[in-house]
Amino acid sequence: MVKIFIDEKSFEVEDGITVFKAAKEAGIAIPHLCYHDAFPPEGSCRMCLVEIEGLPKLELACSTQVRDGMKVFTKSERVVEARKGVLEFLLAEHPLDCPICDKAGDCKLQDYYETYGLFESQFREVKEKREKKAKIGKNLIHDEERCIICKRCVRFLKEVTHTQELGIFERGIHTSVNIYELLPVDNNYSGNLAQICPVGAITDTDFRFKTRSWLLKKGKSICPLCSRGCNISIEYHPGFPHFQVPKKVFRIYSLENPDVNGFWICDLGRYGYSYIDENRLDRIMIKKEEQKIEPTWEQSLQFIAEKIKGLNFLKKTSQIALVLNTWLSNEELFLIHKIFKSDLNVESIFFADRPQSEGDDILLTPERSPNRRGAQEMGLSIQPVKLETLATKTRLLLVFGSSIQDQFSSSDIKKVLDKIETKILFASHSNDLISFFDIVLPTALIAEKGGSLTNVEGRIQKFSPVFEPSGDSLPEWMMLADLGREFGINPSFYEQLKTPEAISIETEKEIPFFREKK
Amino acid sequence: MSENILTQQFSLENVFKIDEYVKQGGYKAVRKALQEMKPEEILEEVKKANLRGRGGAGFPAGVKWGFVPPVDKPKYLCVNADEGEPGTFKDRYIMSHNPHMLFEGIIITSYCVGIHSAYIYIRGEYESIAQRLEEGISEAYKNGFLGKNILNSGFDLDIIVHRGAGAYICGEETALLESLEGKRGNPRLKPPFPASVGLFQCPTVINNVETISNIPHIILNGAEWFVGQGLAKDGGTRIFGVSGMVEKPGIYELPIGTSLKDIINVHAGGMKKGKKLKAVIPGGMSAPVLKADEIDIKMDFDSLVNAESMLGSAAIIVIDTGTSMLDVLKVITKFYSHESCGQCTPCRIGTSWINKIVNRMVEGKGSKKDIDNIVRLASNILGHTLCPLGDAAAMPILSLTKKYRKELESRL
Amino acid sequence: MSPEFSEKIQKKIKEIVARYPQKEAAILPVLHVAQQEFGYISSEEEKQVAGILGVKPIRVREVVTFYTMLNREPVGKYHVQVCSNLSCSLLGAEKLIDYLKQKLGVEPGKTTKDKKFTLSLVECLGACEQAPCMMVNFEYYGNLDKKKIDKILDDLK
Repeated sequence: MVKIFIDEKSFEVEDGITVFKAAKEAGIAIPHLCYHDAFPPEGSCRMCLVEIEGLPKLELACSTQVRDGMKVFTKSERVVEARKGVLEFLLAEHPLDCPICDKAGDCKLQDYYETYGLFESQFREVKEKREKKAKIGKNLIHDEERCIICKRCVRFLKEVTHTQELGIFERGIHTSVNIYELLPVDNNYSGNLAQICPVGAITDTDFRFKTRSWLLKKGKSICPLCSRGCNISIEYHPGFPHFQVPKKVFRIYSLENPDVNGFWICDLGRYGYSYIDENRLDRIMIKKEEQKIEPTWEQSLQFIAEKIKGLNFLKKTSQIALVLNTWLSNEELFLIHKIFKSDLNVESIFFADRPQSEGDDILLTPERSPNRRGAQEMGLSIQPVKLETLATKTRLLLVFGSSIQDQFSSSDIKKVLDKIETKILFASHSNDLISFFDIVLPTALIAEKGGSLTNVEGRIQKFSPVFEPSGDSLPEWMMLADLGREFGINPSFYEQLKTPEAISIETEKEIPFFREKK
Repeated sequence: MSENILTQQFSLENVFKIDEYVKQGGYKAVRKALQEMKPEEILEEVKKANLRGRGGAGFPAGVKWGFVPPVDKPKYLCVNADEGEPGTFKDRYIMSHNPHMLFEGIIITSYCVGIHSAYIYIRGEYESIAQRLEEGISEAYKNGFLGKNILNSGFDLDIIVHRGAGAYICGEETALLESLEGKRGNPRLKPPFPASVGLFQCPTVINNVETISNIPHIILNGAEWFVGQGLAKDGGTRIFGVSGMVEKPGIYELPIGTSLKDIINVHAGGMKKGKKLKAVIPGGMSAPVLKADEIDIKMDFDSLVNAESMLGSAAIIVIDTGTSMLDVLKVITKFYSHESCGQCTPCRIGTSWINKIVNRMVEGKGSKKDIDNIVRLASNILGHTLCPLGDAAAMPILSLTKKYRKELESRL
Repeated sequence: MSPEFSEKIQKKIKEIVARYPQKEAAILPVLHVAQQEFGYISSEEEKQVAGILGVKPIRVREVVTFYTMLNREPVGKYHVQVCSNLSCSLLGAEKLIDYLKQKLGVEPGKTTKDKKFTLSLVECLGACEQAPCMMVNFEYYGNLDKKKIDKILDDLK
């Protein structure tokens, strides 16, 4: 550790780190455009210049390493003037088309102009004319006039995806970033380019012109679309559905987590968010024959609890079958394990998940669900559904999720379900299956509930609700805790499980993996 | 009285050929160095000689070599023969007239530092000179001065000629390295310095042609003699290149510290007939301009720094009273705007912006405010760029607008 | 589209590549060879060079667009490159450029209709003692005046 002074306050920092990092740790933001934590310093934008006592020139915060006793000034007049100068250069050749720029609100040039600029433009010359709207990838639009040559995009494609679709051409004022011939940016991480572009040079057609970023709220979550568990920010319109916007979620951004996803997410995770808004199951549905119960949570859960109670009383819990999925959180899987395995000795536990698909050697795993590892560590063996088994001995079937229809045809499923006395579906989305079940209960998504997931590497990550569950949906953990209490083997145990955290504590008590990983 | 060191054989027509060069006493220095001296002794001698870099920055060569860490990695020598600084043409003379003197310097330097591959990065336009170097190198291989086990010393060395392709910035040492590695000539962030992380990520010495060419002479005649040719802190001679409005433009090898006035008036034959001196750029285009009454000055690093200019590549450009300083400003700003690599903000946009303003002024559409703006913009470039090109652009602009402001205003 | 690199050229390129510990370092010398052969570097050459050196074509284009001596369009049989830098302009380069424009009937950057001459303005050629100067292909011509230019161009017919 060394002692350094930033703006005359002293800080103890790790030796050898950069001034930029030291300042960041001290809560002092240093403006930067080309610098990104994911890459070695580039030193080209010159926004992060700071004054260091004893050195004649201003130095780059992004690349200068701290020394013991170093005195850094990040806000001195010299520094402010230099940054203003750099900003003036950048804005001189910038089109300043913020009103029609999709990056407005997220743009570092705008932010820094607020801090360092607010000057009159002295530029009287003719700006360089460049391509304003080139499609450079499936979802990517490139505006060369807005580009500030920070090379973040070029470096990303060189160092992260190794695909090198973008390069730097020409030199001097004519320097530009572009694709080669007409070969587009084509990799499963292309969406990161729009996110890391500090200005509006690369924008994303998935988001472009659909809303303005300042209208959106952001919530931290975990991407459930593979088992990597990438940290994401879900950006949504808080007024939906009351405001006239076509959807709630507008964009997924990656969040930094060096242990899981670094700085990135794949395009599957970035663009595959429509499931949050579309085709949601918002109401409890009861089949006409079950006239005695009202479509309320109390009555529905009580109905299921009574069925379980009955079978338990008759020592026929072997006639209960479950179809689970690995979108369920650790807490939910724990409750299922507790209720159905420990309390009831149910043996017919199957899993139906979205089929595996291709992964890559960056982040994407072959699994298309987030918590397979969690289920395994919980002691649940991940067995595929056997329709014959279900057909022969099941009287009560609880199905979580709808992925069973990815594996069997609707008619096959219906044939089997027709033979089962009571069938309950816990599902987040409306589909062909729902008409086959006696009760269909709408469930919350990861984005709408709390809990934790165990990623492919065995890392447990907590998540909190970003927004309220859609319609009448509830998190499965809540239903399961109710169910546990209702059917009455150990009601006091379930009574106290009012939050995911409370369930998590019990999980840790009972399952060594979760205790050790804590 | 000093003597010609580097140029003494230039009048010999065939000295570029190895037979003639050896006949004239060539490769004695290599024999002495490889057979009689240890690398440390050579380093000591070069340090004592106070040989400062002839490329422009003037860093002491021996000190630079001393920075190379003793790591178990290949080490490289890059000879900077990019010679792009406007007004500079001295290295062309060395390479075309006396290439084996340069090779001797390369061999001794490499032996001293423990280098087995040396690259001569020569500007692309010097195609015929590159050919001459290639021919000289193959002669040297045939005569056992290059290749394996040179003169039975156990020392191996290859020299490779690498041609640039038209980019002033590649004279900047880290841009040169990038270019040699097959990339765009974008300067690197320093540190790390090339001595520790240079070509192909290995320790690398980069010296100018003229710098290296002094080495055999230092080895043969000793550091003391070398210092005696110039100044104590700045040993040897310089090859001054004089161009512009003088009677006898050309190269003049003179002791460091020779008066600029004498170089122009005596050696270069004075002003061209009928022309009157107005200004001098004393060290290549990047050097701040001196007015006619400022030329009574010694041509060495310190004296020029004191006069707020620089010795640079010792390229003297002489400007006469018939020349408009606005036209000079136009040429200067056009050049830097054209040669900016485009990597960092102030240089990429600043040089172009200033050039656009100057072009407008030349068209007669300028105002006093434009001159203020040029000064402001150049000051915003100065000291704020990734490599020295920003300063090289800003300095002449700042000095010219300061010293010739009245004239510039009169042209508006 | 340019023809493929001949065997002779390929052999030359192999020799060049062998001089460097990393293939990519040979990019400029290989491009020089390609330009000598084909007159300019089209995207075909970019791809061929990229293939030989084991890099993506985009890397070659990054390099080609950085260096002014690499032509990206065909040039005339004689590429007349006139210095427009300081020492040469002090000694009348601008007038000579005008003269060349008029004589060749083309603006800088353009090629005569008969494909014989391309006129280019370049920065300092490093021959300031012979200012004003120019380079035709790789031949230097100094101390230029109109008469001298007439003779040089006539000799190139």
